[in-house]
Amino acid sequence: MKLTKILATTAALAIAASTAYAEGANIFVIGGKPDDPFWSRVKKGAEDAGKVAEAQGGSVTWLGPQNYDNLGPDAAELIRQAIDQKADAIVGPDWVPEAMDPAFQAVVDAGIPLVIYNAGGIEAADRLGAMNYVGAVDYKSGYAGGEYLGNAGHKNGACVNTLPGAANIEAFCNGFNDGLGAAGGTGSTLQLPATAFGDATAVAQAVRAHLLQNPDIDAMFAIGDGDTNATVSGIAQAGKTGQVHVCGMNFNDSILANIQAGTQACAIDQQGYQQGFFAVSILNNFVNYGVTIPTREILTGPGVIDASNVELVIEGVKAGAR
Amino acid sequence: MSLNTDRQSSGMSFGNLARRPEAGSFVGLVLVYAFFAIMGGAVFMGAPGWSSWLNIAAEVGIVALPVGLLMIAGELDISVGSVIPASQMTTAIVSGYFGLPVLLGIGCGLGVGLLVGFVNGYLVTRTTIPSLIITIGTMFAVMGLTLGFAVLIAGSTSVFLVPGPATKLILGTFLLGMFNVSIFWWVAFAVCVFYLLHVSPAGNWVFALGGDRESARNAGIPTSRLTIGLYMLSGFAAAFVGVLQLMTYQNAQVATGQSFIFNSIMCVVIGGVLLTGGSGSVIGIVIGTATFAIVNQGVFFSGLDPNVGSVIIGVLLLAAVLSNDGFRALALKYSTRKG
Repeated sequence: MKLTKILATTAALAIAASTAYAEGANIFVIGGKPDDPFWSRVKKGAEDAGKVAEAQGGSVTWLGPQNYDNLGPDAAELIRQAIDQKADAIVGPDWVPEAMDPAFQAVVDAGIPLVIYNAGGIEAADRLGAMNYVGAVDYKSGYAGGEYLGNAGHKNGACVNTLPGAANIEAFCNGFNDGLGAAGGTGSTLQLPATAFGDATAVAQAVRAHLLQNPDIDAMFAIGDGDTNATVSGIAQAGKTGQVHVCGMNFNDSILANIQAGTQACAIDQQGYQQGFFAVSILNNFVNYGVTIPTREILTGPGVIDASNVELVIEGVKAGAR
Repeated sequence: MSLNTDRQSSGMSFGNLARRPEAGSFVGLVLVYAFFAIMGGAVFMGAPGWSSWLNIAAEVGIVALPVGLLMIAGELDISVGSVIPASQMTTAIVSGYFGLPVLLGIGCGLGVGLLVGFVNGYLVTRTTIPSLIITIGTMFAVMGLTLGFAVLIAGSTSVFLVPGPATKLILGTFLLGMFNVSIFWWVAFAVCVFYLLHVSPAGNWVFALGGDRESARNAGIPTSRLTIGLYMLSGFAAAFVGVLQLMTYQNAQVATGQSFIFNSIMCVVIGGVLLTGGSGSVIGIVIGTATFAIVNQGVFFSGLDPNVGSVIIGVLLLAAVLSNDGFRALALKYSTRKG
């Protein structure tokens, strides 16, 4: 753990050193691993917004941990590095408030403008005295999925929870069940045992068995793209393709193909590109011109992808923004 | 030293039955199936129920067979957990991302498994480090390489592959819409491994290796070649499961496969393989795998909390180890009386 931290620190310092002393707004963005597919889109958004900052003599520097094993303390360390690098503004996600809030507090105490993005919500921004929150809300993402399927006329839903106990996954499922409820249906949660996580066959077979035991279910929600593919397969094996409709969090090429083919109803996207783009833009404009965005809590998601807009999304994927 | 190298079965005496290493596992299988048949009712006992647990059993089973051989030979293989994603990612990148012929992709995927197996075997035979540690090391190394290369080459941690109709039929289809072809591959693997362990001369070498490595070498058994071969078989089987999953779900993910590590070991142990090596049977491993899969799927048909499934598996595992010891003591008693 110690070694990882040192590695993360060294890598971050190496990246930071080259850009720290330019003119204009030097914005430091704390985010996930750059090779994480979701975070690579956030990073692209931040860098695209950074082109304006660079044109004005500023810079955008991405600080990400080497791995997620010790996420809270590692990310807190990255925040402190950004302060030490004399950042003009800082963007960061409040993943682990217990570990990261003191570091964010130090940012605010140092008088550096701060935007919380991706995780923590407007509550974290208010608590820490940050300018704004840019991001999606897990509960609302699930809610959008439930509402979508409910409005399409489906009444009995199940949320496939492959990670029982994780707070954000519970939020997805609670949101889904509430969204379906608001549209006149009822939702439940299918809890999978720990031995199933990451195993598509186990997820597919669990979904299938659950559907055979509960023939009334006509809507399902999956918490990630891999789980969504497995859920679609489980539905097919139960002989229920066309009767049970699926929405899932996030997407990949095969999910877009399934939406095109009609075997998946919708995918919920938190639109990471927007998170990076708007968080950096807000801070760059504030540092350079003192302008602000009075709208509090800038929601970048949920964005719903279904048959009506899937072609546009595919174009976005080709550009690396989705 | 080993209990079932003696292939002369003389009648159906209790001693002979109890001496079969799979006797205890079979009792467990019957109990577990009866329990879930009562709880799950007609759906579980019908084709949907059978296909449900057979689909699970097939994939774990293909990995568990060679892992079982290794455990009989006194070694462990943890690296299977990252060989599965490595092989499917390799196949998906070669055939899906670059669009090269799917046979080449599958060949490369299986090649990755053989290579990791070779490295494992080589390190186990050339060093004195326990195989548990070596294969944990290769597991992490392969995991990192898979993630690194996937992102470097394909720019994503999940790569997409649509197999042609022939490939899909052989490796990723569902017969009658529910029985995955992997079940037939599992049967084929079981037959091959059965031949290897219980018919061919190499089988006795495997038992001897797990009984006492030094004596085995002194008796002229090529222990190093045998160990490397077993690890390559294990890598190959894991890679094959990776390919099967890829052809079924058409999507390779870097994070899949970790659950196979413990699941395969549990199947083997429930199947009566002695943890210290030297004893076990292919039929036992197959029974253990079926038991594991029935519990895993049974909970969904019976309406029990899925966490209960994990509890049952844990209890079964302990019961298997305890009854192995019990049956072994019993078997040894009867053998000595006979001799």
